[in-house]
Amino acid sequence: MQRRDFFKKAIVVAGSAAVGGSTIEAVETTHPIDNRKVSDIAFPEKRPLITYSDRPPLLESPREVFTSALTPNDLFFVRWHMPLIPTYINPNKFTISVNGLVEKEIEVSLQELKTQFNQVELTAVLQCGGNSRTAFKPMAGGIQWGIGAMGCARWRGVRLKDVLAKAGLKKEATYIGFNGEDKAVYNKTANFVRELNLEHLDDDIILAYKMNGEDLPYLNGYPLRLIIPGVYADSWIKMISNITVTKEKQDLHFMEHAYRIPDNSCECETPKNLFKKTKPIEEMNVNSIIGYPVTGTKVRDASDLVVRGVAFDSGHGIEKVQISIDGGQMWEDALLDDDREGKYAYRTFTYAFKPKSSGSLTIMCKATNKKGESQPFAKDVKWNHGGYKYNGIDEVTVEVV
Amino acid sequence: MTRFKKLLLTILISVSPLFAQVKGGITVPYIDFPMKEGKGMYSTKGKCNMCHSWGYTLNQGLQSKKFWQEKVMKMILIFKAPIEDKHIDEVVNYLFENYGNGELE
Ligand code: HEC
Repeated sequence: MQRRDFFKKAIVVAGSAAVGGSTIEAVETTHPIDNRKVSDIAFPEKRPLITYSDRPPLLESPREVFTSALTPNDLFFVRWHMPLIPTYINPNKFTISVNGLVEKEIEVSLQELKTQFNQVELTAVLQCGGNSRTAFKPMAGGIQWGIGAMGCARWRGVRLKDVLAKAGLKKEATYIGFNGEDKAVYNKTANFVRELNLEHLDDDIILAYKMNGEDLPYLNGYPLRLIIPGVYADSWIKMISNITVTKEKQDLHFMEHAYRIPDNSCECETPKNLFKKTKPIEEMNVNSIIGYPVTGTKVRDASDLVVRGVAFDSGHGIEKVQISIDGGQMWEDALLDDDREGKYAYRTFTYAFKPKSSGSLTIMCKATNKKGESQPFAKDVKWNHGGYKYNGIDEVTVEVV
Repeated sequence: MTRFKKLLLTILISVSPLFAQVKGGITVPYIDFPMKEGKGMYSTKGKCNMCHSWGYTLNQGLQSKKFWQEKVMKMILIFKAPIEDKHIDEVVNYLFENYGNGELE
């Protein structure tokens, strides 16, 4: 584009804003990108997944995965921040250290974790805060995910609280910082360290060494990772090897600048008018995804189609999932599973019907939690600069033949 | 079971080695994310593929010049990418010419 065109365009934009009074910008939300294919190359311990990067590995689960309450380990998405990941860990030598404001600094081996602490197990959804980021226009910074940066697993391990108690927290202890074994390539880049205010420490936060009954896959954080049910994945540190207890907040890039949203009631802003005060993304929005059928599936008219999917929130629990086949006018309840995996897990749902007329048919799903919160239409999801917390009503379009 | 045997068994259990599912660690496959040929490709390759794969950059899709300008600055300011001022334009131009959406902003 020529320089002159650029100014012309600038005037047009400025002009339209003046007409509307308030900010009229092309801020709109759509459905996330949904047609990406899995790669033909499989990563270690994984089946082929949608692959964005090898260094660090970024792998997304395809839609078909979202029909069961537990996501198989080999289909579970992968997101690393730092490209230098240990590719071999000796489970007999691995330890996690606890230091800082503790009575005595300790190093606990994997073996000790497995034998000297109470063993606990819980099922929880792990979802990247930027899942479905491709829905945001203009584009929000970060990995351009479709819907598949999430999964749900049964995690087994020990309570973080118990490990901290073994070291003994000092009176002034306020923050706990977590660091994993992944490292930045360049020594001046900050490592991915996260921290938690001790106020938020509860019995459900665990250091897990098993995922769905198996060792954690390397790419999901073998041999130990932090599980913080109900909140987005940003603090679920993988290959966690150190816990540092402090009084003051550490100055951490990934705490102070990443994973933050506008601290206002709509958690929204516009690109030209970014909201100054921000807060961490934390609690997950109520959300649901259709795993079957997928866009492009061909079904016979009057055949019995069973729609399947998963719904979840931050732990209030799912009240209902509804399906619409007329563009969101009429909604009918789907059947929910028996809730056996608990409040932090996926609730699977099914909805059976006979498609009547031939042609394209769009199926939508909408979840409501026990607090009464439900999902907005995709176009009504409000923009934020990081593209976080998308939870627009999901849809797939099948061909009825 | 005699007490001695019991004791022996406990010792055996507690020192039995842990076995990982994967024998001897993993190898992350190399994936080729080809770069479009164009002016500034080699320079950009050296700078932008130092800390992460080109896939990271490709994943952003086609973007405006302002977008690429800001992304390069983010890499320099936040992640301390060692890119000298005099090379910034070259990299931004390569990105915009090959992965641009035609819009300046
Ligand atoms: C000094 C190391 C380093 C260099 C050199 C570097 N990057 Fe990055 N880049 C990073 C880190 C660290 C991240 C963030 C990782 C994360 O958030 O998990 C990142 C993230 C990104 C992202 C993801 C989106 C985002 O906004 O976080 C893109 C795109 C990107 N870099 C493009 C580039 C381009 C283009 C260049 C060349 C100008 C470049 N990078 C050079 C370290 C680097």
